[in-house]
Amino acid sequence: MSALSLPEVSPRRRRTDRIMRGVMLAATLLALVPLVLVIFYLLKEGLGSINGAFFTQDPSGSFFGNVGGVRSAILGSVEIVLLATVIAVPIGIGVALYLTEYGTDSRFATVVRYFVDVMTGVPSIVFGLFIYISLVLSHVGGNFTAWKGSVALALLMLPIIIRSAEVVLLLVPASLREAALALGAPRWRIIRKVVLPTAAPGLVTGSLLAVARGMGETAPLLFTAAGASGLTFSLSQQMNSLPLQIYNDVLSPRSAIVSQAWAAGLTLVAMVLILNLIARAISRRSRVA
Amino acid sequence: MESSATPASGDRSGLERSSLSRLPDRALSWGLTSLAILILALIVFFFIRLIGESGSTFSTFGISFVFGNDWDVSRNIFHGAPLVVGTLITSGVALLIGVPVAVATALYLTELCPRRMRAPLSGLVDLLAAVPSVVYGLWGVFFLAPKLLPAEKWFANTFSFIPWIGGGGSSATPTNYFIASLVLAIMILPIVSAISREVLATVPAENKEAALALGATRWEMIRMAVLPYSRSGIVGGAMLGLGRALGETIAIVLLIGDAPVIGHHLFSQGYSLAAVIANEFGEAQGIHRSALFAAGLVLFVLTLLVNIIARAYVARGSRGMRVGASADLAMAAAESRS
Amino acid sequence: MTKEIHVRTSRIGAVAAALVVALAIAACGSSSSSSSAPAGGSSSSGSSSSAAAGGGSVTATVDGAGSTLAAPIYQQWGSTLKSKGLTINFNPVGSGAGQTDLESATVGFAGSDPSLKPVDVKAMKGSVLQFPVAAGGITVSYNLPGVKSGLKLDGPTVASIFSGKIKTWNDPAIKALNPGISLPSTAITVVHRSDSSGTTEGFTTYLSDVSSTWKSSIGLGKDVKWPVGTGAAENSGVAAAVKQTAGAVGYVEQAYALENGFTYAAIKNSAGTSVSPTITNTSDAFLGVKVPADLGISTINSPNSGAYPIVSQTFLDAYQDPCKDGGLSSSTAKGLFEFLTYAFGAGQSTLGSGGNKLPYAPLPASLAAEDQTQLKTMTCNGAPLS
Repeated sequence: MSALSLPEVSPRRRRTDRIMRGVMLAATLLALVPLVLVIFYLLKEGLGSINGAFFTQDPSGSFFGNVGGVRSAILGSVEIVLLATVIAVPIGIGVALYLTEYGTDSRFATVVRYFVDVMTGVPSIVFGLFIYISLVLSHVGGNFTAWKGSVALALLMLPIIIRSAEVVLLLVPASLREAALALGAPRWRIIRKVVLPTAAPGLVTGSLLAVARGMGETAPLLFTAAGASGLTFSLSQQMNSLPLQIYNDVLSPRSAIVSQAWAAGLTLVAMVLILNLIARAISRRSRVA
Repeated sequence: MESSATPASGDRSGLERSSLSRLPDRALSWGLTSLAILILALIVFFFIRLIGESGSTFSTFGISFVFGNDWDVSRNIFHGAPLVVGTLITSGVALLIGVPVAVATALYLTELCPRRMRAPLSGLVDLLAAVPSVVYGLWGVFFLAPKLLPAEKWFANTFSFIPWIGGGGSSATPTNYFIASLVLAIMILPIVSAISREVLATVPAENKEAALALGATRWEMIRMAVLPYSRSGIVGGAMLGLGRALGETIAIVLLIGDAPVIGHHLFSQGYSLAAVIANEFGEAQGIHRSALFAAGLVLFVLTLLVNIIARAYVARGSRGMRVGASADLAMAAAESRS
Repeated sequence: MTKEIHVRTSRIGAVAAALVVALAIAACGSSSSSSSAPAGGSSSSGSSSSAAAGGGSVTATVDGAGSTLAAPIYQQWGSTLKSKGLTINFNPVGSGAGQTDLESATVGFAGSDPSLKPVDVKAMKGSVLQFPVAAGGITVSYNLPGVKSGLKLDGPTVASIFSGKIKTWNDPAIKALNPGISLPSTAITVVHRSDSSGTTEGFTTYLSDVSSTWKSSIGLGKDVKWPVGTGAAENSGVAAAVKQTAGAVGYVEQAYALENGFTYAAIKNSAGTSVSPTITNTSDAFLGVKVPADLGISTINSPNSGAYPIVSQTFLDAYQDPCKDGGLSSSTAKGLFEFLTYAFGAGQSTLGSGGNKLPYAPLPASLAAEDQTQLKTMTCNGAPLS
């Protein structure tokens, strides 16, 4: 009875192996090159503009003297995205719940899933235009207003939230669900006490990723919230936002304002980075075994 | 039935509940279903609105809106082939560049990377998604495009015998199809990589160990056991990346050159459907506005088609994968023994 | 484990609830506070307003959109007026988009470089007033190593360059205009705008004026089909492209070119003089120009002998009755009125050449006076605003 003889690995195969491993490592490093370049460029061009005034003053719009800061842009972005989140998260999770709880076999659910998929590919500007023609042109509640920008962003974020929430909800162990059912709990209670709490960290992660996406979008805001220089908290007016401020400032003839645009870009990346880190920390700390 | 077996909710068996207590359940089901209907209705409404607004374009230009090559705003002629071609080229090249790198990165991070480095490196790759599209576009215009132009010119001149990809070195412009596709590839990389990583992580250890036990090298194990198993999932990830590429607006506007022509070379300027909407919508009137909506409609349909193809491929792949993998293993075993 | 889940869920829930409450407060509070003024303003959708008696300053927010050429002016004026309680939001989306916004009454005023054409006037919701505000030159900026200054061109030559008929810098036509300069044989790279722009319209209007072949084959407009050259988005895009390419030439707004130290050519004007795009020469373009009844002047190819020939005027358009046609509240309309009064009065002294002035050509006194007269006809639901 001859033992299973393991053949020698030929030099050719060994070489191929080594080359391919090198290729994969190279690809990873290659992927990181743009990241380093972008961050480096932002720091180089924008770091000089970052000081106290940058965060505490509004863009002055003045051609001379003080350029001011980007306070209204930062706060505007936060407020617009916050409203978009409040709209998109409940609806998104609700639809995902529908798809997982009631729609695993239904054809209607398949159609909904399909269309949500399609929504992920719609250009961000088309969402903005959709809101423009339905809400802005009809002068519903004002002309260009911040809340309409939020609605456009919410449309953008919805498919991301629905998709990620669906994945997370499906990961809730069937055994937990079945145990609750066996105890006679009605469906709503199962969802409230078992499914949602178990999936909560994953849902938060997915929502934060959608929020990070929303923060970086310019196009949906162009025709909805437009822009403003001054600080305003009212959602029924035009409001400033970081992506818009960056886009407009970069075009300025004044180099100090251009530098401020890059600094604002740096700020935006930092804000999104922080959101991503929070999402990661939440998902890591609460992995339900 | 003695009390030890009864459920806590009362003396009735758990399967019988009063119709009153069913109410919250029914309300919930109704509520969630209506949300799903809302989403569907929104998209349908959106679609109908698009069709309605673009109607006059199609009645005026017919199919030459998609296939004709003449986008002339000042003369109100709207044949959008340059837009469609530009969209397909940039998305296609972005996929061509981005997906292999993303999958290779995912493979490295899941299979070859030392365990300690896995989390930080994955985090860094994911960080690519944190940069907003406007920053990518501006960085591309002010930094990357001028830096790469000499290399692009060299490439075009050296490989001028290849049609379209080579040639045109003297007319290469800083903003062109290639640079737009390159930045797009960078933007879709984190998405494809993250999904691929998830998919690769689900490959059963037995498949991998079986290949290794048969004497396969690391790469051969990946080729035989990991990739075939994950192929459909990776394709799904690539499709998500494609969706993002098709829809990207701001970065393309800044990098593709916005020339309403079909560029003669990879390094020529062109246009795309999303970019033309962003550039021209603000002041479009009448037939022009309708033409832009038609562009949006074409984009919508394109995305739908891509999704249909992707879903079909994924469905087909998942059915045959298990058979395929074991056949590959068997073949590899035979190969190594000979 | 369950306790952990409970705590986690309730914590998440509490944070979410707090955010929603904060948002509700923000949404319901309709105060638009500027960085210095105390609380208490009015939003453009019209709640309580505090208009000081006797024509003093009004607290209001006025939204405008349009010309990127004029954007720095409106932003500077907005910055000055903020201390008086007036908030001007100007969205630099381009002349055409600004006009469209005014037509749909989503803004209070539009900034437009080209004057209103009959088809634009018809599309408006009511009678529209157009006010010339300032003028800005359009420079022909170039990047030619070895030729740092002093390049002279004329209209027909510029048209030939931008239509691709002249392909190199040492072409005989250019040589003839510049006898003292040694021109290299570098190829000319034309850079034009890829986005829709009033600046393009100004430039192509000039080219159509000086070259009949240009007029018939390419024509004028915010967006034309350029026969040759690279497209770049926005002024800064064109500027960057010119800077990066040796042998490049492009049309760049004067304010931009002056601020960033560009090299530009002197152009021969209609009187035959070679004129450089300085602010003084740009201001001269106003002199001798015919002023029609609707104030729709054109400073392109001005007849004045000292004028720079490629000068684009810029207008401010608003409804004659912004309350009835434009949907503005009476306080916002008053704010608009105050803004316009400033624009044709004290605001003009912020424009010009020299230290603390914006590099644009201010209106000659006579034209500013005509603007003031026209402004007096503005009403709010029939009642005069002045």
